[in-house]
Amino acid sequence: MSTHSTMETPQDQPRFSLSNSTGDDELSRYNWTMISIELFLFFIGIVNLVSATAVEDKSQGLFKTQLAYFGVGLVLTAILIFLFHYSFLSRVAYLIYFLNLLLLVAVFFVGKSSLGAQRWIGFGPVRFQPSEFMKLSMVIGLAKFFETDRTTSGYTLREMALPALLVGVPALLIMAQPDLGTAMILLLVFGSMMLFLKIETRTLLIIAVTVATALPLAYRFALKPYQKQRVISFINPMADPRGSGYNSIQSMIAVGSGQLTGKGWKKGTQSQLNFLPEHHTDFIFSVFSEDWGFLGCAALLIAYLFFLSNGVQIAYQSHDKFGMLLSLGILMIFFWHIVVNMGMVMGLLPIVGVPLPFLSYGGSALITAMLGVGILTNIANKKFMF
Amino acid sequence: MAFLGQEEQIRELQDRFKFLYAAMFLGLGILLGRMVHLQLLQGDRMRMFSEENRIKRVKVAAPRGMIFDRNRRLLIDNRPAFDLEIIPQYLRESKKTEAVIAKLSKIIKMPEKEIQEILDKSKSQASFLPVKIKNDLTRDEVAQVEVWKIDMPGVQIQEEIKRTNLFGDVAAHLLGYIGEVNTVELPRLNKKALKYKLGDSIGKFGLEQQLEDILRGIDGERLVEVDAMGRIKLTRTKNRLVDPTLERASVPGKNLVLTIDQDLQLEAAKAFGDKSGSLVAIDPRSGEILAMISRPSFDPTEFSRGIPPQLWQSLLNNENRPLGDKTIQDHYPPGSTFKIVTAIAGLEEKVIDENTKFNCPGVIWMGNRAYHCHKKNGHGNVNVVDAITLSCDVFFYRVAQKLKSVDDIAKWAFHLGLGKKTGIQLARETAGLIPTEEWKKKRFNQVWNGGESLSVAIGQSFVLTTGLQLANLYASIANGGILYRPFLVKEIESYEGQILQHFKPESIDRHQLSPRTYELIKQGLWGVINRPNGTAAAQRLPGMDFAGKTGTVQVMRIAADKIYQKCQNMKYKDRHHGMFAGFAPVKDPVIAVSVIGEHVCSGSGGAAPIGRAVIKKYLEKYYPDLYGEKVLAARIKAEGKERGLPAKIKQVEEEGVTVNADSTVRTEPVPAPPAPPHPDAVMPQESENSEGDDE
Repeated sequence: MSTHSTMETPQDQPRFSLSNSTGDDELSRYNWTMISIELFLFFIGIVNLVSATAVEDKSQGLFKTQLAYFGVGLVLTAILIFLFHYSFLSRVAYLIYFLNLLLLVAVFFVGKSSLGAQRWIGFGPVRFQPSEFMKLSMVIGLAKFFETDRTTSGYTLREMALPALLVGVPALLIMAQPDLGTAMILLLVFGSMMLFLKIETRTLLIIAVTVATALPLAYRFALKPYQKQRVISFINPMADPRGSGYNSIQSMIAVGSGQLTGKGWKKGTQSQLNFLPEHHTDFIFSVFSEDWGFLGCAALLIAYLFFLSNGVQIAYQSHDKFGMLLSLGILMIFFWHIVVNMGMVMGLLPIVGVPLPFLSYGGSALITAMLGVGILTNIANKKFMF
Repeated sequence: MAFLGQEEQIRELQDRFKFLYAAMFLGLGILLGRMVHLQLLQGDRMRMFSEENRIKRVKVAAPRGMIFDRNRRLLIDNRPAFDLEIIPQYLRESKKTEAVIAKLSKIIKMPEKEIQEILDKSKSQASFLPVKIKNDLTRDEVAQVEVWKIDMPGVQIQEEIKRTNLFGDVAAHLLGYIGEVNTVELPRLNKKALKYKLGDSIGKFGLEQQLEDILRGIDGERLVEVDAMGRIKLTRTKNRLVDPTLERASVPGKNLVLTIDQDLQLEAAKAFGDKSGSLVAIDPRSGEILAMISRPSFDPTEFSRGIPPQLWQSLLNNENRPLGDKTIQDHYPPGSTFKIVTAIAGLEEKVIDENTKFNCPGVIWMGNRAYHCHKKNGHGNVNVVDAITLSCDVFFYRVAQKLKSVDDIAKWAFHLGLGKKTGIQLARETAGLIPTEEWKKKRFNQVWNGGESLSVAIGQSFVLTTGLQLANLYASIANGGILYRPFLVKEIESYEGQILQHFKPESIDRHQLSPRTYELIKQGLWGVINRPNGTAAAQRLPGMDFAGKTGTVQVMRIAADKIYQKCQNMKYKDRHHGMFAGFAPVKDPVIAVSVIGEHVCSGSGGAAPIGRAVIKKYLEKYYPDLYGEKVLAARIKAEGKERGLPAKIKQVEEEGVTVNADSTVRTEPVPAPPAPPHPDAVMPQESENSEGDDE
């Protein structure tokens, strides 16, 4: 079998294959690539988290908690891989979706707040963010919706109304928490899925014009003052270097000061001396790039590229539309998390709270990511069962 | 479970994967480009920013030079002191501000309201910066705070090295104090080579001010790693990336060894008790100042640490002017201590000689004014030696009458070093005043009145001298005519104690007097103390040949009928000043002293005992083989036989009868008193309308 992506590969052969996915016995025929890359990324993540949580502040030693979450994630992954066929998800797709939506609503009534936002639901000592899981639920819902849809000539506004509602309701709920980052991810994933499924040209133009005119209005009326401040400081961080521009500047300094080879593990002064805010969650990448420099960052980027391209190959090879759309949606989630988080840390995008997959501290995000990988692996393996 | 027709759809979707890949590569490609930009192209700049972020330059204060007395007894030291600070942010975060302040208030004995007010005032600065709550905690308070520290988040003890005057208020005016550089001083200071910054300490008064350049060290600089809150990180010292070659050690200031003897200072302070005035003691062989105090005084340590406003107010309002320096800044009519100048003028101008005798009937008339002697019934026939011993006013009136004009007295007064600054190394020295005919013309546009010469002859009228001038005058008589520049600093030594500079005596002038004149003056001065009828015979030091002159100066003009009123019965502020100047021993003197006692009523009773105590202490300390207890006892025995003096010296007739001719008859307008000579002086000073009188 071919193992590399080349343009010369015949159409019927799996393109972009990065691993040998055929074998004699069943287990060796399993595609373990996604899991392997996940393990590798998590390893990088935990090593980096040890550095980030060596700082003398509230984050100290939190990497241990992250390891525990990972354990939970592994168990859930195993269940997903061995005990289900992903087509089961197609049957319960809307159930999952509505249950999750219910949890999102519940957040407003029984939720716990932190840093000015109400995002968590607690069960005894455990607490989780329904908004994180909503990303998966939404993708499952969308995959289900488009599974039977036969439109091939591009979607019009009317045809997109229902799926837009499917995304819009949770997005609004999440935005109200407020958690602009997660809401934005939902929209981005939905948008990119729609683009993939093709939107009618005229509709696309209408949408583009509407968005272009709506953005300034949204800025004026819908954004909260702190969110506006973030936009201002993104455009010119130096406008208020000690205030709203501070995070962005310090983060860029951290990344840049890593230079080619980095300052060394646990030796990043920006993070160790607390110049970086949220250095164990949203700004985890600045810790990594300060410690390991350009070489480390490029290696991490390649690992993500491996991860994504392998996922895309799974999507490509899936034998049914549900599997393809589901895996694509999951990949979109990963892709946008990576791009938005790194872009924000490096000052390319305004500051929005979006975690970096496998590197940022946070149970809900990690378990969501691991469930995503579990589903992808399931899809990769089950295609041989036909 | 593929639906019907899905195969086709899937194939169609598969065609779009190339766009998917393109988008993916584009997204990650932009990220990679940004990494190249930030880490490789901008890396150096960003690294620099991160270094600036975390490395802070911290001033390492250079210790200021110490000050020792002539026997290397430490007078001013740098001692650790403990201040209490609060970091408002931590206090606020603890959410128990009130409880902490209540607790703290009990420990440092400061009202809660006051603590809260200080915190409120600090709100304009960043909340992670410490706010000073109280200076100089006691050991007990420090211990208490340390014990309760865990319950008081944000409260901390700051140790600081502080300037400390070990002898408190004894020599405040001489040693001075330091303070923080203020914005007014800054531009002027920075014209000098050594730069000052706000918050730096600088000498503000006394020697601390005059020898600032010697005492001040050069501050060093240390690089420390700080976190985002500005807190210094000590835990990471082993991983410190700070380049030690960029640090600079501090250079301590140089030490001063003074000519002052602290034992004499303490003796003088003790002798003054709660009296107001000053004492200056000089070594007549060199001009070294042995003692120099002004009373009442203040504790410079409190000034150096930021004086509380109430204390400052009470010092300003004290009627005895503790802030003024009565040794060099204030001047007084010298009274009878000036008579030796008149005597010298008479002898040197040859209007009298040692055999000239004038009859003192108790009063003489000039024009229609009576000029009284302090002894109502007169002294009879007296020569110059007796006149000094008895302080006979009439004799000196006659000398003044014999002289061509007041300028003949002024000429010799200037020659002897009066009427001009001695040039001592202290700021704010006053020149005093020796009146001349020309001066009066210029000053008041008035012709000199002959009667005023008589007042000048007995050290009154316009004559003004400082305590230092008097001491230096008597020192120059004692040493046979050399006028030294009085000095305070004997040596400058390095911080380690190596002598860098040694100061030698500097003679300003040599008196052109005949040797016989010194003998006559000394005889007279010896008599004042050692002859039974001398004005200060009660101050005799048996076995110690001690000579001097007393003076009593009227502060208020007194009506004729009150001339003979007992001084002690007057209001404090109206009582006479007492003066004394003298030296010891008469042969080869080693110490000269001047004493000004404000409102002590008389020179013999109020000032002379203070001079006597210092002289006695000095002779005993430095010449034990001449003035030790046994030697002294033997000499007293021998002297008693030799001179046949009565064992008990009869107390001379009370000299409190004070006569001032001016107060009885006035035929002409009284010139206004001299204006205060230092309108720009920083320290408050009093310009007294001093009218002289005599014993």
